Amino acid sequence: MTDFDLTEFFLTGMLTYGPPALGLALLIGALGLPVPGTLFVLAAGAFVRQGVIDLASTAGLGWLGAVLGDSASYAIGYFAKGWVQRRFGQSAAWQKAQDTFERRGGIAIYLTRFLITPLAVPTNLIAGGSGYSFWKFLIYDLAGEFTWILLYGGLGYAFGSQWEAINQFISDFSGVLVGIVALGAGIYFLVRRRRQNQLEEPTM
Amino acid sequence: MSQPTKSAPPRSRREKMLTTGLIVVGIVLILFFGFRAVRSFLRIQFTGLEPGATDVELIRGWMTVPYIATAYGVPEEYIFEQIGVPQEGNQEKALRRLNFDYFEGEPEAILKAVQGAITRYKAEHPPPSEVEND
Repeated sequence: MTDFDLTEFFLTGMLTYGPPALGLALLIGALGLPVPGTLFVLAAGAFVRQGVIDLASTAGLGWLGAVLGDSASYAIGYFAKGWVQRRFGQSAAWQKAQDTFERRGGIAIYLTRFLITPLAVPTNLIAGGSGYSFWKFLIYDLAGEFTWILLYGGLGYAFGSQWEAINQFISDFSGVLVGIVALGAGIYFLVRRRRQNQLEEPTM
Repeated sequence: MSQPTKSAPPRSRREKMLTTGLIVVGIVLILFFGFRAVRSFLRIQFTGLEPGATDVELIRGWMTVPYIATAYGVPEEYIFEQIGVPQEGNQEKALRRLNFDYFEGEPEAILKAVQGAITRYKAEHPPPSEVEND
């Protein structure tokens, strides 16, 4: 038998079975399986340009698959809530994180759909586990996934047969963004710690 | 009297480790992917991108013959005939699979066969503008 490659399997599936294969690929990617969702969306845009698949059903089924997958990973977080509450519920840091997510979770959900995609699945799990409203989650998720399909599908359409070349750049740029998020969070904690230390220092 | 030295509480130590870890990981990711992103960007700038370009080097093992036929504007039957693979029952198979079934898994054999078929077809059927120029 030939070596099995999940990415190639879905790319061939998109050529043979069309948009449903894209929907399925995006669904399992949103559940956390290691499949390159952005690459599939770029490829789908290129296939639409080449006349291999239809625009409306590709965009529609791709969007549906991504949103269903996100909702399923939100549900996983939701059903793990009991365990998380028992383990961390009494912690002040967890309470604060929950409050912060309640206030700013929407923008995190929206941005992780298309800009910082490696953080999308953890965000879904946190949203479900922290008790963030599903309807609010769904609205931001629909908007974010729509932006993702439009942006990367549009790039695939614009670059046509050269879509593989820009996929590498997008993938690397996404890694830079994750690095910026980690560095920003580190600097935030550092500044907060310094401020707390200054407040706790006794005045002479 | 000397004051007993106080060590940082465990929570504070954990926070310090988390902060340092995030900063280090952030810098490493930015440097690693930043270098790769610049390299990818320069490669795109250097090679240029033509959406309609149909370079045979872009043919991959996951592609099917009907897809290649559409993308390169070559009849499907012609490609199957040239690579010596029956059309029936093989339209949904990827080149990688056809390579395994008909080329005894010899690496890239089918890629070369398909590239050759397309190049031959293009030479036999030049676009009308090129014919007029000749």
